[in-house]
Amino acid sequence: MSQLYLYARWVRIWHWINALLFLTLMYSGASMHFNGAVLLLDFQTAITVHNTAGILLTIGWIGFVIGNLISTNGRHYHVQLKGFIGRLIAQSLYYGYGIFKNAPHPFHPSAEAKLNTLQQITYIGVMYLLMPLLIISGWAFLFSVYLPETLLGIGSVWVVAMSHLTIAYLLVLFLLVHLYIITTGETVMTNMRAMLTGWHRDSHQETEG
Amino acid sequence: MSDRNIDSRLKWTAPALAAGWFLILSGLVGTHVACAGSETADNKACLRCHQMTTLAYRDPETGKIVDLSIDPKALSHSAHGELACSDCHAPDFERYPHPQRLKNESLSCVRCHEGQDDAAERLYRFQTIDEEFEHSVHATSDDPKVAGFSCHSCHDPHAFRNSQVGEDIAQIVRADNAICLSCHTKVQDPLRDPHTWLPNREKHQESVRCLDCHTPVSEDGQTVSHQILAGNDSNRDCVNCHSKKPQLLNRLYQYRSETDLANQGWVSKALFNEAYVVGMSRSPLIDRLALAIIGITLLVLGAHGYGRYRAHRRSKEDQA
Amino acid sequence: MKPLQNLLSTPARRRLLIVALVLIALTLAYKRLYPLMFESYVGETNARLTYDSSKTLTDAEFEALATDLSREARYRKADSIVETDQAPFARQVKIEILMGTESVVRDAEPSHIKYFRDAGIRRYEGPDTCLTCHATIKIDHPDGSVSTINTLNDIVNSVHFKFQSSSGGFSTYGYDGRRVNSGVHKIPVGKIDRACGIPGSFTWTGWAALVTAKPEHDGKVEPQLRSEGCGQCHIGGNYQPATEKMMPIGDVPNEVKEGIDCLICHSTQYDMNRRVVIRDAHGLRWDQDRSMRAALTVGPIRAENCLRCHQHNMGGDTYTHNAAAQQPGYEHQRILHRGAKRGNPFSPQDDAHAAAGLECTDCHRPEGHKIPRGRKGVDLVANDLPGKEVSCESCHSRAPHNNSEHKALLNGHIDRLACETCHIEELQPDNVVLRDWVHPTWNAEEGIWEPTDIYRSGAPGKGFTFLWFNGNGTFLANALGNNPNGSDVYNPLMRQIARIDDPEVIAAVRTKAVELKQQYPDIDVERYVQIATNPVSQLTPDMLKKRETMVRDNLRGPMNEGESRIYPFKLFNAMMYEDMSNQGPFGAMILPFDYKTYYETGNSKAAVAKAVQDPIVQRMYQEPFKLYMMDEFMAYFGVTNGWKTDYPIVDGTLVNVEPHWMRQMGTLMVNHGIQRAGRECTDCHSPNGIMDFAKLGYTPERTAELENVDIAEEVESGDGRAQSGSND
Repeated sequence: MSQLYLYARWVRIWHWINALLFLTLMYSGASMHFNGAVLLLDFQTAITVHNTAGILLTIGWIGFVIGNLISTNGRHYHVQLKGFIGRLIAQSLYYGYGIFKNAPHPFHPSAEAKLNTLQQITYIGVMYLLMPLLIISGWAFLFSVYLPETLLGIGSVWVVAMSHLTIAYLLVLFLLVHLYIITTGETVMTNMRAMLTGWHRDSHQETEG
Repeated sequence: MSDRNIDSRLKWTAPALAAGWFLILSGLVGTHVACAGSETADNKACLRCHQMTTLAYRDPETGKIVDLSIDPKALSHSAHGELACSDCHAPDFERYPHPQRLKNESLSCVRCHEGQDDAAERLYRFQTIDEEFEHSVHATSDDPKVAGFSCHSCHDPHAFRNSQVGEDIAQIVRADNAICLSCHTKVQDPLRDPHTWLPNREKHQESVRCLDCHTPVSEDGQTVSHQILAGNDSNRDCVNCHSKKPQLLNRLYQYRSETDLANQGWVSKALFNEAYVVGMSRSPLIDRLALAIIGITLLVLGAHGYGRYRAHRRSKEDQA
Repeated sequence: MKPLQNLLSTPARRRLLIVALVLIALTLAYKRLYPLMFESYVGETNARLTYDSSKTLTDAEFEALATDLSREARYRKADSIVETDQAPFARQVKIEILMGTESVVRDAEPSHIKYFRDAGIRRYEGPDTCLTCHATIKIDHPDGSVSTINTLNDIVNSVHFKFQSSSGGFSTYGYDGRRVNSGVHKIPVGKIDRACGIPGSFTWTGWAALVTAKPEHDGKVEPQLRSEGCGQCHIGGNYQPATEKMMPIGDVPNEVKEGIDCLICHSTQYDMNRRVVIRDAHGLRWDQDRSMRAALTVGPIRAENCLRCHQHNMGGDTYTHNAAAQQPGYEHQRILHRGAKRGNPFSPQDDAHAAAGLECTDCHRPEGHKIPRGRKGVDLVANDLPGKEVSCESCHSRAPHNNSEHKALLNGHIDRLACETCHIEELQPDNVVLRDWVHPTWNAEEGIWEPTDIYRSGAPGKGFTFLWFNGNGTFLANALGNNPNGSDVYNPLMRQIARIDDPEVIAAVRTKAVELKQQYPDIDVERYVQIATNPVSQLTPDMLKKRETMVRDNLRGPMNEGESRIYPFKLFNAMMYEDMSNQGPFGAMILPFDYKTYYETGNSKAAVAKAVQDPIVQRMYQEPFKLYMMDEFMAYFGVTNGWKTDYPIVDGTLVNVEPHWMRQMGTLMVNHGIQRAGRECTDCHSPNGIMDFAKLGYTPERTAELENVDIAEEVESGDGRAQSGSND
């Protein structure tokens, strides 16, 4: 049994705040989008909640980027091109096949690399592609009055709205998969506990060492 | 979802447009003037002065500028475009200076329009308009500023024409709101505008007609009422527009014709079903697609989890 | 040495130190070396300025002056309050009583008496004194915001001080069709004032001059020194205009800033007799009134303050009600220019707004020291606030007529006519239209040679004309606009302002030419009349063709822009010496005159030769200036192949320099001298009306209609003119 301190305090705090905001945004967003359906917020409240949470999410995201720039956490998002394809296939094979055969995890987190290749590209995609797009389209909504009349020949609010909606759906999708994947650690709770305490426990570490 | 509404509206809008607005307006009591287009009007003599864009004077009683100018182009494109000036106005006006006794000439829209042969066949009669107007804040208010409010206060008889199906909606909104804003200047002053409670005020002003909120929500298929509501009585419920079944907004979009949509091809039809409005899923395509994918993902994850559970049980059995 | 070693201990610190040293060296070079280089390059003189009127008062003298000023002010106030219909003695007693009351003292006494007394200020030392308290000022912007700015910077960067500007925002178009300074390469424009009453009108060569006049009185000649130069109307007090501001870098030296004349605008008792040229050890410059009397009477700016200078270009120097012209100087009296530049005075006698007690700043509402000229203007004079509206409409609305039965019809005309078109019936009769600088005439009374005014008139169609105007102008001050019917017929650059058809004017010019021939036998009268009244006839057929093409291709666009209305425009053209190496279809580079030579000898050619040798004119004919601005300047001027640097003097004689009339008349906007009563309908609407509808681009049918408006006579016979009620 080995213990690795993988998640610095700021990363954990950010993660859980972000998670909370995500849920809030999803709920308030759905309240606006499917206005009138049961169990949802009323329109006025939803607007306020969604705007507030959106602004906080933006601040959080900027904090995350700055944090990665000035701390060592950023290196987890540097893709190691050497053997990239091989690792990607190995990880995919594990999730698609090996995991059913109780095969060993092909990847073991270390202080240098805590994310497996599949995780890595997903997180890069989410944090550095989808999130900025979501944030920009969200702000574009807030200041829609200042948008040009049309964008690429289409009404610009429409473009903004559809991008925001599409990205939001993609992130809901991400959240579902994310929630499921965290149960695929050593035990169902391994990864969850790591994000709560910062310490990653791994029995394989011992046998290999 | 609203196709049916548009359909039914079109059914009565078309004849209403044809019959209703291209009628004549006459102030000559008891005189029934010939129908539109009966003869080519030669209005040149009047327009010689009245086309001066600055023909105006300041009314000594109100201190306000009274605009006497008529844009010949707007006149010829207006609902009354084919009439001669003298069809409505007393012929004595051809003399300058105009005789003093003519200056209080009053013209009644309803009397003339209801005097039409086919007036009774119209679905939205001038009689109804008149009744609605009687209840309008423009008629009931005791504010001295609305004294003398008449049809002409909003509908310039020399320029007014109904919005047509297929016109640019933003343009319809702009033209319509310009009528209200010409008096309600306070709305344009950001410090005194009573609409500050409205999120994205400017956006609302350029995409929704004042009337859409400031008239009673009428039944499906009925046009926007002429009973203008006071601010306090007007619609303040966001959900009336921002919901799956927006009652208020549908009236505006009646101007978007189906053929118009068809011309833009199926892609834009799917995309542009209507302009996007927050809270109205105006792109069911994305919604359906996204929800389907999310559903499938959930199924796959469930299956995956079940597989893992089986494997886990197996390994436990092996160990045991 | 420890600290120094410490400072150099790491390479990073060493690098930092080097950067700091380089920065200090550059700053020093910019602040100290560059001004010296610049001064020698353009031949500037700068020195500490002193003024005789700036004297230190003792406390007793100060109090005596304060008492006098207070008394005068309180008397004026009390005098305006006490009714006049009583016995003079009773009135006098009441005035005395009132003068002593607390409220009159508080309201009338010049506020700066107390400020100066408390601050211990006993001498007025120019801007330094003002800035003691007014180092910053608050500016109210039209959007309601307020900003605090540095007063000295504000004034130094204002057009009143630098009288040129490199900014965009002009409504001026080059003959090449480009809007002046709308592109990346911005050049300083302004500073040249070809219609000004001073020969040459080049501020560098014409800033300050002392001319020996030889007036003849009863057969006796008594030589006296007279002052002349652009500096009389521009607030800089130095030996030359503030040239630094023309350059992309560099600031005006402190000596020059100290020469700014605050009081000429801000004092109510400025003595214009002090505004004369003086000679000191460094050269010639303009004196100022820096007396404590002027300083203590600083007050809100009134029309009188502005008119000290501006009546000069509106009513003119010889205009009866020009107050400043009554104070030409205790010595070295300023030469008063005959022939008015605009001929539209702003005075209670000749302007309805002045008569109503309006101040200039009521319409020209300043923002700090930046004063708006409005959005419309045809001249190239710099504009501090080009976007700020100054118009009749901002007060009078679009429906200004309330008095007449025909008010609606009168208001209707505003669609096509500017207010000035009807409400300036004529200009002052000495309004100069054609001025010949080349053949001066001896003025025995003044004892100087003066340019010959070939034609002066204030009458419509003669001294001024009516043109379509949309707010755009050309580089040589020609109003642009077009008949709203989009006519191609309307073409003032080939017609109205390029040719005088009026037989009366032609006859008057001929008479003058015959007169001039006695003095200058070389003059061919017929040719003289032709080029003066038809200046395009000076062009070769090729040039004429090019001109037509350029007008069509380059100016039609700016002409058809926006909304045009008919405005009155004062016409002006002058015969001057031109550098024919830099010639285009609209004119060639005009050359300045040296005042002293011109006024004293009447030898115009020698005066040009002298002025061209001024260092800054020499610089103009060198490569750096060519690249910096002259190429661009010429492109706007309609000269297509750049600025030719062939210096027009070789071995002391002028080369390729010829006298010419500019190829069209300049058109100057007239907006003052507004009369309450407008024109009669039939002034324009009659077959021989003052407005040439055909030339204004109306179709023959429409012209006939406009000339025979059936109701015009009826309206007049019934109601008479809009306001005056006279029926003749």
